[in-house]
Amino acid sequence: MALPNPALTQIPDSYKYGWNDPEQPRTTFKKGISAEVVAEISRIKGEPEWMTKLRLKAYRHFEARPMPKWGADLDGIDFQDIYYYVTGTDKAVQSWDDVPEYIRRTYDKLGIPEAEKKYLAGVGGQYDSEVVYHNIREDLEKQGVIFLGTDEALKTHPELFREHFGTVIPANDNKLAALNTAVWSGGSFIYVPKGVHVELPLQAYFRINTENMGQFERTLIIADEGSSVHYVEGCTAPTYSTASLHSAVVEIIVKKGARVRYTTIQNWSPNVYNLVTKRAVAHEDAVMEWVDGNLGSKVTMKYPSIYLVGERAHGEVLSIAFAGDGQHQDAGGKIIHAAPNTTSLITSKSISRGTGRTSYRGLVKVYPGCQKSKSTVRCDALILDEEARSDTYPYMEIDEEDVTIGHEATVSKVGSEQLFYLMSRGLTEAEASAMIVNGFIEPIVKELPMEYAVEMNRLIQLQMEGAVG
Amino acid sequence: MTLEAPRAAAALDAGAIEGISDRFDEPDWLRALRARWWGRAEATPPPTGQEEEWRRTSLDALPRDVELTFDAPELETHLPPGAAEAGVILTDLRTAVREHSELVARHLGLSDGPGSHAHFWALANAAWTGGAFCYVPRGVTVDGTLVVRQTLARSDVAFHPVTLVVADESSSVTMLEEIVSPDGAAGWYGGIADIQAGQAADVKYARLQQLGDEAWNIGAQRVSVGQDATVTTLDAEIGSKITKVGLEVEMSGRGGTSRLLGLLAAGDDQHIDINAHQVLAADYTTSDLLYLSALYDRARAAFYGVTLVEHGTKQTSSYQECRNLLLSPDAGAEPIPVLEIKANDILRCGHGATAGAIDPTQLFYAQTRGLDPESAERMIVRGFFEQVVAQIHDETIRARVLEALAGRIGTTEEQAA
Repeated sequence: MALPNPALTQIPDSYKYGWNDPEQPRTTFKKGISAEVVAEISRIKGEPEWMTKLRLKAYRHFEARPMPKWGADLDGIDFQDIYYYVTGTDKAVQSWDDVPEYIRRTYDKLGIPEAEKKYLAGVGGQYDSEVVYHNIREDLEKQGVIFLGTDEALKTHPELFREHFGTVIPANDNKLAALNTAVWSGGSFIYVPKGVHVELPLQAYFRINTENMGQFERTLIIADEGSSVHYVEGCTAPTYSTASLHSAVVEIIVKKGARVRYTTIQNWSPNVYNLVTKRAVAHEDAVMEWVDGNLGSKVTMKYPSIYLVGERAHGEVLSIAFAGDGQHQDAGGKIIHAAPNTTSLITSKSISRGTGRTSYRGLVKVYPGCQKSKSTVRCDALILDEEARSDTYPYMEIDEEDVTIGHEATVSKVGSEQLFYLMSRGLTEAEASAMIVNGFIEPIVKELPMEYAVEMNRLIQLQMEGAVG
Repeated sequence: MTLEAPRAAAALDAGAIEGISDRFDEPDWLRALRARWWGRAEATPPPTGQEEEWRRTSLDALPRDVELTFDAPELETHLPPGAAEAGVILTDLRTAVREHSELVARHLGLSDGPGSHAHFWALANAAWTGGAFCYVPRGVTVDGTLVVRQTLARSDVAFHPVTLVVADESSSVTMLEEIVSPDGAAGWYGGIADIQAGQAADVKYARLQQLGDEAWNIGAQRVSVGQDATVTTLDAEIGSKITKVGLEVEMSGRGGTSRLLGLLAAGDDQHIDINAHQVLAADYTTSDLLYLSALYDRARAAFYGVTLVEHGTKQTSSYQECRNLLLSPDAGAEPIPVLEIKANDILRCGHGATAGAIDPTQLFYAQTRGLDPESAERMIVRGFFEQVVAQIHDETIRARVLEALAGRIGTTEEQAA
């Protein structure tokens, strides 16, 4: 549901559990990136030397690497035309009136409460949830769960932080992950101790006004042996942002016998390039699940990956993409089988409408010696309009004999018999199409927390009625 | 006219291309055609390995220094009885240029091949020194099988033959092309096939590749399917050290159908990499692909195939299927079937890819019926290939393909014995 606006999320430090009013003015950064900007971000945050060095090293990787040429068209990104650090007073929060009308209309139609609307639009904070957050936080603390903003965790848990940060996605992993490592701010840090099961999904939602969904957020989740946690970020309602590039990094370590589910629903406004690197390492008997929904943005490139490094580890990626006019959703998943008896499942459902384009891009790799590995990849795409486009790029590299690896994909349109039947029962064409599309994505929607599922269905309906965007 | 001295394949230039025309005393149109394609070959550099289609096969060790062969290998042709009288032509391409110059000029070297193999397509069109020509006149149905067999006497040469198959309107033909070379020496075989099916024509074309164990097979095939025409191709890749084949299917006539079938049996250190590009550019077209690989020892099969449904087309139908049976712990497969769909009025569109070992319960069952493990495995692989073999209705082609596969998968007869 709720979600933070990037502008709101860049508050550097001094944050203590709850709402934090931006206080006095801070350094105002100019647009653009350089080693000086990177060093200055680290200095302002008062970071330890190792982090400053890591940021600078990452910046050199960012500089050295070419832009990826293989996915969506990224020519519209000008790295020198972006603010890399926004402090409290730089937020330039607009008034409600500045929020584009179609976004406000969507909020109304989704039935989002007034305060939340403003929060989503980046013009107000969700003060009401402060109490709820405190209660949850107390429960978690009793269990030894650490759930903090990433900047805060670096200060309060330096050793745990340093031990894991950048171990799943190293600074030189790819150009955009390098950029994130150089300029990251915000995100969540979660540590679940051995054997602890966090019952309620942890939502960035409760961590109001923290840096949980910024432009360059950085999230690190460590589930210790035998523990379990479900983390939820994002929201189905459009999140209005004035920043044109969002490049997050999410690292997850699922230790022996632990279980992590990470659910994301993103619906950035259609000016945003959303280029995210998400990767999890699953150890022996661990289970990692990514549930990833991409509804908004101009361009999304996101392929949540799972490295199955321990025997019997299991990984799943459930992906929904919806591309409307002018949008390109280039999403998918990556599973690396690096231990015997590992299993994985990728399910992708994509819908392209208007001039939208969805691309499934995935990889299943099985290293030699990973006997009895099994993987199934299933991609289905719906193309709703003549100008829409759908692609499927399923990569497979199989270097072990004793495996069962399968991929299947279909592309179809909404069946005219299906439409005819529903309309004969009294539905309008838009209602009938929405019902068919909702049925199409149902296998994934049912995995979402209830409030997300309800909003998702409602949003699809709005999209189909042409009422949105 | 000067007869050019043999030239290394890597040292070709415009003069050497002219030398080919000199040597064979070719008509002016062909000289001009070769020159144009040479220009294209120069303007389209060989792949660097950065291209998506070339990431899985390196050309670093391609034997570029072997000499381009001028001695066309022996070309055996077999035309069923009555076909010649009906006007069917089956001959080597050089003879066809001499005897049917106008007809060949109307069809030779007019189209681009697969984009992934653009350089090699141009090179073969410029530097061919052999190949076959098949023409079936309008309305003629050929009963029986046309057979062309090229047997290279030496392996250590570069040879870029062109096979041109033209089936005129409403004709019907089945053709088998075999290429054989001796083991033991590295060579570069760059044969291309250009198959043109006119309106409502029915073409079945099978290619049986049994090159020597050190051969590099950088081949390409283009199929153009006219309105309401049907083309079925079978690609049986048995020999070679490295095979890197590009397939282009152009479905530009309304109602056309194409089927691409492949059987790959590879062992030792064989590396087979297939690129397919099926373009559905007209309404009511159908294009299916089914490639089956049985991989032994340290063999590796890659498949990168794109089905492209063009914008504005209606009721197209396509399916791409790539299955890999891994028969050794060191074998590997990279099946990548890609869909690029730019139209929404689709009748059927999908793909499937699998890789895995033989189901142990099948092996167990076969052994409880008295088969030793090796025979059981061979029987199961034969059963796996049956999905394609059952679609080869031509007796001659089926027998030749099964014979060529026998070394790997045995035969039903020997098992019964």
